[in-house]
Amino acid sequence: MKQVLFIFILLAVSASSKAQNQDDCNYELKGIILDVDTKEALPYVQILVKGTQNFLLTELDGSFHFKGLCDTSNVLVISCLGYCDTTCQSYHLNSDKPYIYLKEEINDLEEVTITAERTREEGTVSIAQQIIGKEALSANLTQTLASAIADVEGVTFTSVGNNVQLPVIHGLYGNRVLILNNGIKHGFQNWGSDHAPEIDVSSANRVTVLKGAAGVRYGPEALGGAIVIESDPLYLKEPFQAKVGTGYQTNGRGYFVNAEAGQGLENWSYHLGANYTRIGDKFAPDYSLTNTGKEEISVNGGFRYRWNKWNLKAYYSYLGQDLGLLRSSVVSSGTAIVRAINSDEPVIIRDFSYDINEPNQLVQHHFGKIEADWQYADDAKLTLRLGSQLNQRDEFDVRRNADLPIIDLDLITNDLQIDWEHPEWMQLNGLIGLEVFTQNNDNNPGTQTSPFIPNYNTFRFSTYVIESLKSNKSTFELGIRLDYEYNNVRGREPNQDVFRDEYRFMNFTSSLGYILNISDDHTFRTNLATAWRTPNMAELFSFGQHGFKTSFGLLRYYTDENENGALRTDRVTALGESDVVPEKGYKWINEWRTKKQSNTYTLTAYTNYIENFIFDRPIAVIGTIRGPMPVFIYDQADALFIGGDFSWQRQWSNVIDGTLGMSYLWSRNIRKNEALINQPPIMIDYHLGWKIPAFRGLTSSQLSIKPSYTFQQFQAPRTVSPEKLIDGLVIITPESEIFDFKDAPEGFFLLDVAWRIKSERFDAGLSIQNVLNTRYRNYLNEMRYFADEPGINFLFNINYLFNSKSS
Amino acid sequence: MELLSYLRRYSLFALLAVGVFVTSCDDDDEPEPENLPEVITDVTLIFTNNADASDIVTASAVDPDGEGVQELQILGGIVLDVDKTYTLTYAIFNNLETPGEDIGEEILEEDDEHQLFFSFSEGAFVSPTGNGNIDNASDPINYNDADDDGNPVGLSTTWTTSSSAVTGTFTARLQHQPDVKTATSGATDGDTDFDLTFTLEIK
Repeated sequence: MKQVLFIFILLAVSASSKAQNQDDCNYELKGIILDVDTKEALPYVQILVKGTQNFLLTELDGSFHFKGLCDTSNVLVISCLGYCDTTCQSYHLNSDKPYIYLKEEINDLEEVTITAERTREEGTVSIAQQIIGKEALSANLTQTLASAIADVEGVTFTSVGNNVQLPVIHGLYGNRVLILNNGIKHGFQNWGSDHAPEIDVSSANRVTVLKGAAGVRYGPEALGGAIVIESDPLYLKEPFQAKVGTGYQTNGRGYFVNAEAGQGLENWSYHLGANYTRIGDKFAPDYSLTNTGKEEISVNGGFRYRWNKWNLKAYYSYLGQDLGLLRSSVVSSGTAIVRAINSDEPVIIRDFSYDINEPNQLVQHHFGKIEADWQYADDAKLTLRLGSQLNQRDEFDVRRNADLPIIDLDLITNDLQIDWEHPEWMQLNGLIGLEVFTQNNDNNPGTQTSPFIPNYNTFRFSTYVIESLKSNKSTFELGIRLDYEYNNVRGREPNQDVFRDEYRFMNFTSSLGYILNISDDHTFRTNLATAWRTPNMAELFSFGQHGFKTSFGLLRYYTDENENGALRTDRVTALGESDVVPEKGYKWINEWRTKKQSNTYTLTAYTNYIENFIFDRPIAVIGTIRGPMPVFIYDQADALFIGGDFSWQRQWSNVIDGTLGMSYLWSRNIRKNEALINQPPIMIDYHLGWKIPAFRGLTSSQLSIKPSYTFQQFQAPRTVSPEKLIDGLVIITPESEIFDFKDAPEGFFLLDVAWRIKSERFDAGLSIQNVLNTRYRNYLNEMRYFADEPGINFLFNINYLFNSKSS
Repeated sequence: MELLSYLRRYSLFALLAVGVFVTSCDDDDEPEPENLPEVITDVTLIFTNNADASDIVTASAVDPDGEGVQELQILGGIVLDVDKTYTLTYAIFNNLETPGEDIGEEILEEDDEHQLFFSFSEGAFVSPTGNGNIDNASDPINYNDADDDGNPVGLSTTWTTSSSAVTGTFTARLQHQPDVKTATSGATDGDTDFDLTFTLEIK
């Protein structure tokens, strides 16, 4: 491998669209092959239409022109000067801008279908992964990041209402799924299930979901997978382009406006974006979901400067959010819990309003990044990345001092990363990296409550090596990583006495992957990786009521042997003196992808064993001044997850394609041989798309229908109603089997319909979510105890595109 | 652990060398102490004989560790004489703080957001009659106080015991009802500040 070549392909596809007789071989395909950065034409590139004898070489201006093609959809195999063999599926017919950007390292792939594959990050090439592109992301800008990626098989989200949603990969979420924003770990209050990543969907250009443990490349916490968010790639020599868009949704009477603009000049480029969203109280089929509105404002900007082989990139983003939580979810006493859970409708229902009252979350997130890379040889690059984030979170609760936040935290996260993509050495290609990560969390005074999370400083130093070896049809990838972490914690007891703790961890992580490209149509990937995670601050130190739960962290309770093992919470145990140990995960994930004529099958099978898995569970009902309250503690056990995802994509005809998706997960606490709580149920969906040919000035139009069925979670823990606990009919001790307050909701069928149209300058969409206005509750939504999910929603959106010159 | 401290120092040096990291990694501040008006640890019900101010009957409930898991302790029951009229008042404290903080004062300041509700064994009192207003807010209770909107508060209530002996229970529930309290709001509206059940003996 002597050279890495970047290509940029511009395909202008023109079929004789007036005479669309599919039996005739009269389709044409035109395109240009350009360098992605310099936009220089690449002549003499050999292009083959896959499955035919039809090939040609590009002209001096990089252009090519196929005639007499028999299919509307063609796969091109592009062999660039003997250095790369890449394949891209041409977008045929009506897509107005058949730009295909490829920035590939040739050694990473032999075959690329642009709809599914792109360059994979070192350290993740053997991990099953899926990409969500800009178009899918921008179809609904009112949604959260988590729901935007939930179409990926094996991925769903856990939520507290409709505003706070966390991505779930193969049953794991929160600190076990790493969220990487522009190369930097998103630094936020990542604990509990009620803190969603503060990332605006509109700022993302592409989101990659890694379903395997990616701890070697991205660090601890990638136990269950990673979500990699990239903003605009900032290509050079791009004409000025701007887009303004707006949308309205009926459910919650929500609206959004957004704008973005970007341009690539000779040596520099920029991209700017802004978005504003406001949604009021949403509606379930039978009632208003009081206090479920949200307001969100975001701005982001990227800048790139190129100087010879140097690239300097800077990126800044800001997100401000005010997220309402269902008013009826706040209960302060045992009797109120019984009433709220047993009531068919939420206990508090008020008329529609845009107002957001307590309980709510006010968050501001600033993100800044500077990145410099030096491509000093064709296959060698040195990158320096610096990230700085400020996350300010205020949470308000219904209480006597409701105007004061009950949680008021400032979290500063700094990252320094240096990585070196080394030149080929003994057939090995690889990446060597160093990372320094620091976090500083401070409580702001004035909450009039004991801090739920202490002040802390975290310092982490990491180094890793990832090497891959390619021979013939096989690629091997091996990675190892060393992390050293130091934490310094200062908190307050309920009587306001100070407690302090200091602890360190050191850990090795490793990953072994293998890819076998059996043929052009069959690929097998397997990846075995270890990962680890230190317990987060809430798991260690939480104390008292937050939301409707009263919970105690691992270091906050102990059993008193002098009193028959009674639970006590009157002192904080130092981590060094406790038996708390970090989580260790071992995930083995396999992906088999095969293509037969117009069918593509992808099967992913995995097993994930997590030692010292930390979870919270109900422990007892304790008498308090407010009446009896159920109490939760954090505990550790060993958990096993086994599951699979399957997708079958079929091109039914030239204009109709369908995708069947299924995901299944079996999970269990194997130390105690009991169920795990809040695990995703079996899901199955079918997506049918119909491309409508151009008419009346529309360049394209697409109708899609998506029925889906979510099964009842049959592995849910047993149910013990709160009244039984309060009345003492069921006695819970630290040894008792795990339980839940309410049965897992029944399975439900949902139907979504969407229609998108495009013309030269406009694109617009109408989608209808929950067409049948189905009444349902979602097992992974903590609000399932109190209220139904939203009912039918009509969402309209329209975008207008400005170009300095039409291309 | 030599190596580790070396690593740590080395990388701190790297950070400084880059000179971008503006925040100190070594700040060592603890959270500021908070006063906790939310927390109630001690509630005492004080029954004073209207005919004899020195005849005082008290019953208390104590949750010494506040939000901690220690069980609530009900100290004694309510023992009243037959055929007497009592005024019920409260001592409500947060004793996690030293000195203890009087929460009763705060409730009085925010009396338009609070109301006490009661339930008791049927027939224990000749006034009010019935079994209290927790099950039905319009049932009779002799409230002696009202907020600015003219709605009852319950920090002072009057009770006339029955003429015959009764053994049963007595529950006092303080509801916090910001923007919820009206002339008709009941014991399940808003959130509970305390909900305490005592044994009741009238002899």
